[in-house]
Amino acid sequence: MGEKEQPRIGVFVCHCGHNIAGTVDVERVAKEASKFPNVVFSTDEMFMCADSGQELIRTKIKEFGLNRVVVASCSPRMHEPTFRRVVEEGGLNRYLFEQVNLREHVSWCHMHQPEAATEKAIDLVRMAVARAARLESLPIKTVSVIPRTLIVGGGIAGLRAALDIADRGFEVVLVEKAPRLGGHVIKWTHMFPGDRTGEQVIGPMIERVMSHPRITVYTDSKVVGFDGYIGNFEATIRSNDGKSEEKVEVGAVIVATGFKAFKPKGYYAYGESPNIVTLEELQEMPRRDDLLRPSDGKPVKRIAFIGCVGSREPGVKGHEHCSRYCCLAVAKAAADLRDRVEEALVLYQDVRTYGRGHEEIHRLAREKRVIFSKFEPSEKPRVTVEKGKIIMEWHDVLADDNLRFEPDLLVLASAMVPPDDVEETANLFSLTRSGDGFFNPEHIKLAPLTTHTAGIMIAGVAQAAKNASESVVDASGAAAKATSLLAKGEVEIESTVAHVDPELCSSCHTCVTACPYGAISMDNSRDPPVALVTEAKCHGCGTCAAGCPSAAITMLHSTDDQILSMVEALLMPAMTSGGEVQ
Amino acid sequence: MTEAAEKQVVRDEEWEPKIVAFCCNWCSYAGADLAGTSRIQYPPNARIIRVNCTGRIDPDFILTALELGADGVLVSGCHPGDCHYTSGNLKMRARWALLRRAIEQAGVDPRRVRLQWASASEAQIFADGVATLIEQVKKLGPLRGQWK
Repeated sequence: MGEKEQPRIGVFVCHCGHNIAGTVDVERVAKEASKFPNVVFSTDEMFMCADSGQELIRTKIKEFGLNRVVVASCSPRMHEPTFRRVVEEGGLNRYLFEQVNLREHVSWCHMHQPEAATEKAIDLVRMAVARAARLESLPIKTVSVIPRTLIVGGGIAGLRAALDIADRGFEVVLVEKAPRLGGHVIKWTHMFPGDRTGEQVIGPMIERVMSHPRITVYTDSKVVGFDGYIGNFEATIRSNDGKSEEKVEVGAVIVATGFKAFKPKGYYAYGESPNIVTLEELQEMPRRDDLLRPSDGKPVKRIAFIGCVGSREPGVKGHEHCSRYCCLAVAKAAADLRDRVEEALVLYQDVRTYGRGHEEIHRLAREKRVIFSKFEPSEKPRVTVEKGKIIMEWHDVLADDNLRFEPDLLVLASAMVPPDDVEETANLFSLTRSGDGFFNPEHIKLAPLTTHTAGIMIAGVAQAAKNASESVVDASGAAAKATSLLAKGEVEIESTVAHVDPELCSSCHTCVTACPYGAISMDNSRDPPVALVTEAKCHGCGTCAAGCPSAAITMLHSTDDQILSMVEALLMPAMTSGGEVQ
Repeated sequence: MTEAAEKQVVRDEEWEPKIVAFCCNWCSYAGADLAGTSRIQYPPNARIIRVNCTGRIDPDFILTALELGADGVLVSGCHPGDCHYTSGNLKMRARWALLRRAIEQAGVDPRRVRLQWASASEAQIFADGVATLIEQVKKLGPLRGQWK
């Protein structure tokens, strides 16, 4: 860690237009900051993230010989990478930057208390200045990237991603738990927008994947072990019969594990008659010219659909989301089948045919005289089965009338929900899940295909309910993310890892058991053996440092001293040298 | 009421608790960000210190904060099972039971410390947790001088 240089801190307080300055007295914050220990320059500026703000930082670093920079603006989750780059351009190590969150954590949540908000802002800046004085340069480390991608899931998203990556010249390992590729799509008999079968749509993709020289396919297999870090993962693939197990090294991963069609037990008498089926079960019926009733094989004369089955149910965990594919799929199926039946009825809460070509299909269904009838979410249709006969009763909102229909076949447009083994997948790849049960992206708007685990992408319904064409868009996007990593050949990794001081280590093994990543082992070449961190495996959580009874572990960039200096600066400002006495 | 007692009442009314809040980067800090983005309004007494994981929080940080005059300490992390580092929050939870007992033995009301789970999407839960702790601490009064 070397000789300590005297900190020379610059503080830049951002107005963010009216966002911060509208509530917080930013001029006062900057003025107070100028009195804090080690601060040699302090100012306020309209937009710190704009070119002018960035230039200001670079200029003042030179002008005042700043060796630490504090920017008080928005959340570091937003702009920390931006400002780290700026201080680097100004000649400082990126870890000598500290950000204060005056927008999300102050001005936006205390809008009616400008005085208290300003006090809070001053406290937060004082804390950041104290921490900044204790920040240390860390080496910028890069690791090489293994030019191979693991794709988990051989549905339409996984296949598309595999072809995109392999066509760009990189190797792909594709793992599918089912005995064949093609996911849900291959089982379906009528695909949007034309009338081709799923097999016709996806078949050529499967053929290309199977014959591609750079794609290795494992079907009837699962990833059962996963370890490593961005650019250097190791996955263990085991066949479902347990007879073979292989380890592969990959640099990137795309999780495209898709969904399960919800089996709506307890909804609309599902399970009480063979003639009540889900949309997926209808899609899987053999393709033929006439539509036959599952119970007795007689032609269906009246067909009915019900939308939003297990979707859009506020307060029901895992069923609050819109499943997005069903409105179009119902309109398409009703329009297709209208020619083969005497009557077709669709009961809906809302019709959301939002995508390209969707509204045309919806209109076609209406032109073909498919009857659409709207019900209130609070007053769901009642379905009963009497002597094998299906009876539907509901209140039509638009006609304000109670109606009744006896279909030969009732189709329930059931929700897309995560597959049964989603938890296993989440744990394997350290992914978090949102309320709908699908995997969280890194950022819902700005980074929808990457995750918080660097090097792991998500695509298709694994990320959220969506239709096949949207899944393909995702897949190509995730493939582009993976290939940009592979093409570069190396990637920067965080230097914020744990470090053991062997002189202080008392060989108690507490850290070895605390580490969630197996990154700490005992160095047996020493007597007694001491803890040793494999830095590449360390993710920087700091659980080991908090658990170490000998204070032998330093978490770089999150040291005890750095954290406690913030506590002190808040509660005992006079204790920090040169601080104003309150 | 004596003059001194009257002054004490005035002082107590003016007193605003100081709360140190340790938030993990991935869930609760992001939840606090979302509270701001959603313009959820909550009391301004808490000062957030960002740590990578609640597992990083040495119980000593909390004791030091109370010793230096924090009136309350909040620890907010990912829900069990959702930890970005798989299990750091569980380590924190394990320490918590002992920590509360230690605080109590030192003569400090354990209601001054609060452990909560708030995900990146649970802005309201985060804000409500902060408000709950502040309310609790306000009832207990300033901490100074309560150590045994």
